[in-house]
Amino acid sequence: MSFLQVSRLVKCFGATRAVDGVSFEVRPGEIYGLLGPNGAGKTTTISMICGLLKAESGEVVIDGTGFWTDPSRARRLMGVVPQEIALYEELSGRENLEFWGRLAGLAAKEAKQRAAELLEALALADRAHDALKKYSGGMKRRINLGCALLHRPRLLLLDEPTVGIDPQARLKLLEFIRDLAASGTAILYTTHYLEEAETLCQRIGIIDQGRLLAEGTLAELQQRLGGRHLFQLEANLAGVQPDQWPGFAQQFQILQRSDRHLLLAALNDCDPAAGLKALLALPVQVDNVSIKRPSLNDVFLELTGRALRE
Amino acid sequence: MKSAFLIGHNDLRLFLRNRASIVWLFLIPTAFVYFMAVPNRGPGSPSNPRPAVLVENRDAGFLGSVFLDELGAQGLNVLSPTNSADAKRGIRIPPDFTTNILAGRQGKVGFFKVAGGGDAESAMVEIRLVRALIAINSHLLEQSASDRGRPPTAESLRALQHKENPVTLDVQFAGRKPIPTGYSISLPGVIVMYLMMNLLIFGGVAMAWERRSGVLRRMIVHPLHRPALIAGKLYGLMLLAAVQITFFLLVGRYWFHVNLGDHLCGILLVLLVYAWVAASLGLLVGSIIQSEDKVVGLCVLSSLTMAALGGCWWPLEIMPDSLKIIAHCIPTGWAMDALHQMITFGGGLPAAAHAIGVLVLFGLGANVLAAKCFRV
Repeated sequence: MSFLQVSRLVKCFGATRAVDGVSFEVRPGEIYGLLGPNGAGKTTTISMICGLLKAESGEVVIDGTGFWTDPSRARRLMGVVPQEIALYEELSGRENLEFWGRLAGLAAKEAKQRAAELLEALALADRAHDALKKYSGGMKRRINLGCALLHRPRLLLLDEPTVGIDPQARLKLLEFIRDLAASGTAILYTTHYLEEAETLCQRIGIIDQGRLLAEGTLAELQQRLGGRHLFQLEANLAGVQPDQWPGFAQQFQILQRSDRHLLLAALNDCDPAAGLKALLALPVQVDNVSIKRPSLNDVFLELTGRALRE
Repeated sequence: MKSAFLIGHNDLRLFLRNRASIVWLFLIPTAFVYFMAVPNRGPGSPSNPRPAVLVENRDAGFLGSVFLDELGAQGLNVLSPTNSADAKRGIRIPPDFTTNILAGRQGKVGFFKVAGGGDAESAMVEIRLVRALIAINSHLLEQSASDRGRPPTAESLRALQHKENPVTLDVQFAGRKPIPTGYSISLPGVIVMYLMMNLLIFGGVAMAWERRSGVLRRMIVHPLHRPALIAGKLYGLMLLAAVQITFFLLVGRYWFHVNLGDHLCGILLVLLVYAWVAASLGLLVGSIIQSEDKVVGLCVLSSLTMAALGGCWWPLEIMPDSLKIIAHCIPTGWAMDALHQMITFGGGLPAAAHAIGVLVLFGLGANVLAAKCFRV
């Protein structure tokens, strides 16, 4: 049973279809990753889910009720962590938490108590009274997350919450998010970091140019490449047309190429040893060959013809 | 509604936590009240109600000291030659003053310049001196008429001084109104100018920053209606205005000794309605301009222009008719009109009702525009 159901959302800005028929669902306790490059339509999708933008068509259903049927109810059920650090720098971490908690509908006493709990949970209790402007980027990110959790939302929308912070702070934040999901919160997590999507999310939707190209678990997405091994071949490939090599097209699919490198997916479930043997027999001087399991970037590459990191 | 109060209180907390706000809300405007009062100070300045005068009383008889009492009763601060540092004019009572008058001869009082001082000071002292001369002459005449044959004594003349006058003047403005001067122009002028400037800047900058930083978007994804968000922002600015108004009325009354008249509630009403206009304009500016720097530039320029044209720097009464018409196209002009009606001319709410009504129209217009242009 899904907690958030997004169906055929469409949003246009002028002639541009920023979101084009996106559908997915998020279940309680699940972290659903929306993975895509900058400008893919992730933030626009989240903005429509939380009611900041109205969709041209499509529907957002939260806990069985359409968002616009009862927006206040929907907003009480969700917490939104924006991409930017939308907090008051002059206020302390505790004051920020209390203010946003009160705005979410908590009584003063309850907001105070929840702020104290969250400061503990986010490991910021010792800096609770410092003005936010004195916090590091990672600490601000934690408060930014905490401000969406005061009212114990059952759905959490996280829009690239780790942008611009160091790896250690990122790990802490991801651990906290994992714990939230473990407690039953449905989480929609947008990112353009492959590693985050791979390690954090149970299911991933790949979005590009406003369209959801594929979705599933990491294993399911890797299966799009037939569960095949990928071969990275290093050779002098300038002016070479690999597709014209005898038997090459029947054995391999080119995912990416340059004058020095070829990224190939083996076809027909060929085993790695056979693949290697075939590559070494190619009519080209091979400098190096390596084998790897397909990553999300490879899946993205296969879907769009370009790497997510490009 | 709860959310609106919460947002308003939080905004006030943020405004006051900013150290620069103490300077712009309180210190600089207070200095302006003082400095702007100086060039606008006139003979009727309420801060100078008892002009000092040096009196050389050479009279050996009692009439000299009775005349001194009369000078005091007419509003002069009588100083002796040993303590005359503040006096710009002097009065000399001759040695034979009592003798001559009791003998039926004319006694002449001398009036002279001590040092410095302009014509205004001279007129202030002279008018009181003339009134004292009229009074002492009338007392002598009354004494001789009522107690025929018996010479006046110090006691009989002092009794007459304390007697109520049979004819008094019921003072009302007859046609031309007096020109506000001194603190009576600078206090309302500074309040009106700085309310506009601060509410435009604080409101505009806060809105622009909150929109740029995503705070407004974050607010609107909470269970909060858009009108409540706008009301909260306006409420915060109105609280800020209330703090500034309270401060300046207290400082004006107890430090600058401005006579605020008998209509404090009316003055407060005018200032609050005007603050609502300025706060709505602040929201409007913050909604249509994205950069905080541009907001500050525009707001400083527009508030100073409105202050100058609206009569905050000099009285509207001395401005040409064309500028008076311009003054009444902007809210500062109407606010100054309403305040002068109550502070300087002693009118009540009915006298300021027309100006208040126009300010309400300005407020409604600005509020509707601000709500229409409000963007997160």
